[in-house]
Amino acid sequence: MQEIIIGIGVTALAGALAAVAGAAEDTESNIGSQGDPNSQVQLAPQMGYTHRIYNKAVSGEPPAYTLWVTLACGVAWAFLMMGMNAILAIVLASALATFVQGVYATTAYLGRTASLSKFGQPVFIDVLKSVTSVTMGHAFVAIIATVVICYLIATIIGHPFSLPLLGIVWGLALGAAGSATGNPYYGKERQYQNQKFGAGVPISASGNIVRYAEAGQRSSIDNGFFTSKFGGPASGLCFGLIVFLELWRTILFEDALGGWGAIIAGAVIIVIFLIIDRCVESWARKNYGPYTEA
Amino acid sequence: MSVKVEASAGGVPHNTVMIIGALIALVSLYIGIAGNYLLGIDWFAVFGGIAVIGALVWGNSTIKKLCSYGIGTGVPSAGMLAFGAGTAAFIAASAIFCGFAFGIWLVPILTLVLALILGLIFGWIANSVENMKIPVMTRSIAELSAVGAIALAGFALLATGGVDLLSISSAGFIGLDVGSSFLGAGIIAVGFMLGALALQHPFNACLGPGEKQDRTNMLALECGFLSMIVMAVISFVFVSPIAGWISLIVAVLGWIITYAKYVKLSKRDAAAWLDATPFEDKEE
Repeated sequence: MQEIIIGIGVTALAGALAAVAGAAEDTESNIGSQGDPNSQVQLAPQMGYTHRIYNKAVSGEPPAYTLWVTLACGVAWAFLMMGMNAILAIVLASALATFVQGVYATTAYLGRTASLSKFGQPVFIDVLKSVTSVTMGHAFVAIIATVVICYLIATIIGHPFSLPLLGIVWGLALGAAGSATGNPYYGKERQYQNQKFGAGVPISASGNIVRYAEAGQRSSIDNGFFTSKFGGPASGLCFGLIVFLELWRTILFEDALGGWGAIIAGAVIIVIFLIIDRCVESWARKNYGPYTEA
Repeated sequence: MSVKVEASAGGVPHNTVMIIGALIALVSLYIGIAGNYLLGIDWFAVFGGIAVIGALVWGNSTIKKLCSYGIGTGVPSAGMLAFGAGTAAFIAASAIFCGFAFGIWLVPILTLVLALILGLIFGWIANSVENMKIPVMTRSIAELSAVGAIALAGFALLATGGVDLLSISSAGFIGLDVGSSFLGAGIIAVGFMLGALALQHPFNACLGPGEKQDRTNMLALECGFLSMIVMAVISFVFVSPIAGWISLIVAVLGWIITYAKYVKLSKRDAAAWLDATPFEDKEE
């Protein structure tokens, strides 16, 4: 009984950490401009729209976050093996992963922008300095929260996977949650805030992304300010639910039916979410419908 | 069939880059093996990192060639595919002659050959069965698999001082069990992700009409040294402290030099280099 109570406690803690990680991940990727919405940032100068938006073309968010979290888990594991205190090991490993993330971010911004020289897009050093540090800060929060989740799963719940393997699984899940949930809000709402609401992205508006603020020209930090109100929390909720439900079904139903209990519970959760998703989709289509000419 | 768009026309031909990269990688692996198995010291683990860098330079050129057929979002996927095939080839190669006295000397060559065979099969499936019909696909996937496999062998050498199954699956310098080995603890997964991102990043980060070969190659070197820093930190678990410090210092120095050169090359190629200056809008 005590094991189950501790397990439920860890599940709740991991779920809460995952919510923080998801929100930080989405905000980080929007400030740095990563993933599919970044194609418009890349396109804008070619359509004649010079901008001050960061261009963090590292790869999709899932592979990128798999690397940050896996390497943090690997380095944390190495520090633990060398006899370091767990908290210190996780903090130092996450700091090293954040450093790698920052280096990848700056090389992507410099590389992509220098390759757009034909279209007159300059490299803004002030953007490089101010935005990189902000994305690194958010990335650190996302990475350390996920590494702590992996550590809790490995040590307290006693998962058979080693820390780096858990890192690869949960890093990928974190990137996928942030990319799938948060990106539409950045790509469709924020970048095209200057277009008619619900208009989608017409071809004629390609590359015509939001580049001006209330006063002056925007940098991507403003994108984080905007998306942290909705896209970030939604991503946090998504990743939090994934971690919480995954651990919850394992802790409660692992011993039922010779191990099949947890698998059946997982299948039931998927079916319930399928039904909810379908209801939300048909409700949205009915209420907002396809875009019609005004 | 896809249309070919030439990325950074001119420059050093792909075949030359491939031969140079492969030679650096294989020679480095053999120097590392010779140091560890003939002289009995693990200080040569640092050559594992050099092997990774050689492989990345080769792979970067291959990705550029493959992606000149309009595979935009496929650039990061190519890195994953390479290391997926490479993991299988490297583990198989390290295991086949394990236990034989000469076995260790066959690992690098076997890794290369097995990876090429695996890559040819995957490339054939992608091109003929999935019908992608990209002329360089089969050869490129074979090359990328070889790059992934050799880079993983390099990471193994860097982290543990050896490339055979015994080194990567047994006790480290501070006396650990099998579950805490390069394979058992999943450090190979860290090598997988480090290599896969470092392989796709240089071309992915520099693509565009103004892409220049020297800048992209410098970024490949920078990514290699950056990955080496991380693996050198982890290597302290498996190798002697002196070997670990040698790898770490070489990696940090190499990274600082290549990063500074990359920033300089970006400054050379950029349209303008502005600090706290607003842009002038063509539209207004």
